[in-house]
Amino acid sequence: MNLKRVSAIILRHFFLTMHQLERFFDVIVSPILVLVLWGFLSKYVQNIQSSTLASFLLGGMILWVIFEKVSTDIGVNFMFEIWERNIINVLASPITFIEFISALLIISLIKILIAFTTMLLMAAIFYHFQITALGFGLVLLWINLFIFAASFGIFNVSLILRYGHSIGPLTWILPFFVQPFAAVFYPISILPPIFQKLAFILPISHVFEGMRYTLKTGQFDTASFWIATALNVVYIFASVGFFVYTFRKVLKSGRLVKLI
Amino acid sequence: MNKKTVLEVKNLVKKFDDFVAIDDISFSVKEGQIFGFLGPNGAGKSTTIYCILGLIEPDEGEIQIFGKDLKSCRSEIMTQVNYASAEFILPWNLNIWENLLVYAKLYEVPNGKNRIKELLEVFEMSHLKGRIIRDLSTGQRVRINLCKALLNKPKLLLLDEPMASMDPDVVDKGIKLLKQIQKEENMTVLYTSHNMWEIEQIANNILFINHGKIVASGTPLELTQQVLRLEAEEPNLRDVFIHLSRS
Repeated sequence: MNLKRVSAIILRHFFLTMHQLERFFDVIVSPILVLVLWGFLSKYVQNIQSSTLASFLLGGMILWVIFEKVSTDIGVNFMFEIWERNIINVLASPITFIEFISALLIISLIKILIAFTTMLLMAAIFYHFQITALGFGLVLLWINLFIFAASFGIFNVSLILRYGHSIGPLTWILPFFVQPFAAVFYPISILPPIFQKLAFILPISHVFEGMRYTLKTGQFDTASFWIATALNVVYIFASVGFFVYTFRKVLKSGRLVKLI
Repeated sequence: MNKKTVLEVKNLVKKFDDFVAIDDISFSVKEGQIFGFLGPNGAGKSTTIYCILGLIEPDEGEIQIFGKDLKSCRSEIMTQVNYASAEFILPWNLNIWENLLVYAKLYEVPNGKNRIKELLEVFEMSHLKGRIIRDLSTGQRVRINLCKALLNKPKLLLLDEPMASMDPDVVDKGIKLLKQIQKEENMTVLYTSHNMWEIEQIANNILFINHGKIVASGTPLELTQQVLRLEAEEPNLRDVFIHLSRS
């Protein structure tokens, strides 16, 4: 092994990090967020000794994966076109950008349906966890999660369009900014008041609240569902609006052809 | 015979902050023409092509393709337009057949599979159809780019340095094939290159752009006579290029 060449690559990435501050998120911010998340979880576990706890955790994890995978997948698939220097060929074709983004959403939907089904089967087989106990409500929770993830993914693509693929690492990290406040593994009530306000404006937190309510009582949480749906309408319009605005800006500034 | 205008660019202006990339240019390209679009690096050729593709929005001016306004009918127009540049390759991890199939669908090519087979035969690539793009030689990649660009039998083909950094043998074969297909399908081609031999071989009309402005136009011989000397009997685009770039 030639250590000079190895150190040259290390130095090259050091310089890169100095020029791209978002790379610090990978190193510092992400671990902090995980610490915050599990801190809240520990607090919750201290306060509750319930037989449904495992269901809450597993259900939370399974539904969280939908959000995380869909929201990152859209950005990653978009970046693949940039990495493979194919984006200009695609955009020079008759396809509109809205069609292109829709295709990315559909790809994510197909992938997550496969992943979700696999997780349900594994949870049932290995942990005797039947998330299908949520009944038809599961479909409604699922739709709300997917819409919020799609909003997030579209927001992500807008950021890549605006700032270029150097912003790419955020694609993986952005969902974890939401996680501590999304009440995935613990109820909103466990959060400090200021974070409770933040959680209230996230559709995803109402989805997880609804999931826990249904697992605990066997009844569908209509209120949480409608709040999540209403918030989703706001988020999807906001993300599509931001995307259209960004797309027009990059068409004008010429950044679109400089994505590579 | 009065040929139809395929592409009409009127008073196109594009600025990037203080830099004027395209400075009020107008030109039109007639059906069946192979139009050499020349100019030094940074002259505004690629920006013009991106404007024609709808990937950059001009600040001023109008672009009409097949008599239709690009801004309002882009998708419809692009089904009959195609583009290739050596700078942009097809996805590395897909094989030739998969790539061409994706693009055949993107361009809504009827009988896409037959068209792919036909083109692979013309470009002598049929035996490589299962090969992954990253495993192809540079010359083979150029040919595949051209296959992709010809999939939809475009009425207007935009080629932005499609054979940049290719060896003369690859360029010669590519040019011959392109000329043959262009003649058979009566395609209109807008072709940029820094290889003047390539342009002399393929283009029947030249537009020379510098600092975002059109500085000369005509057939290769007319341009040579205009710019260098009136008595010239053979085109000499290399010297024309140097002269215009430095003036």
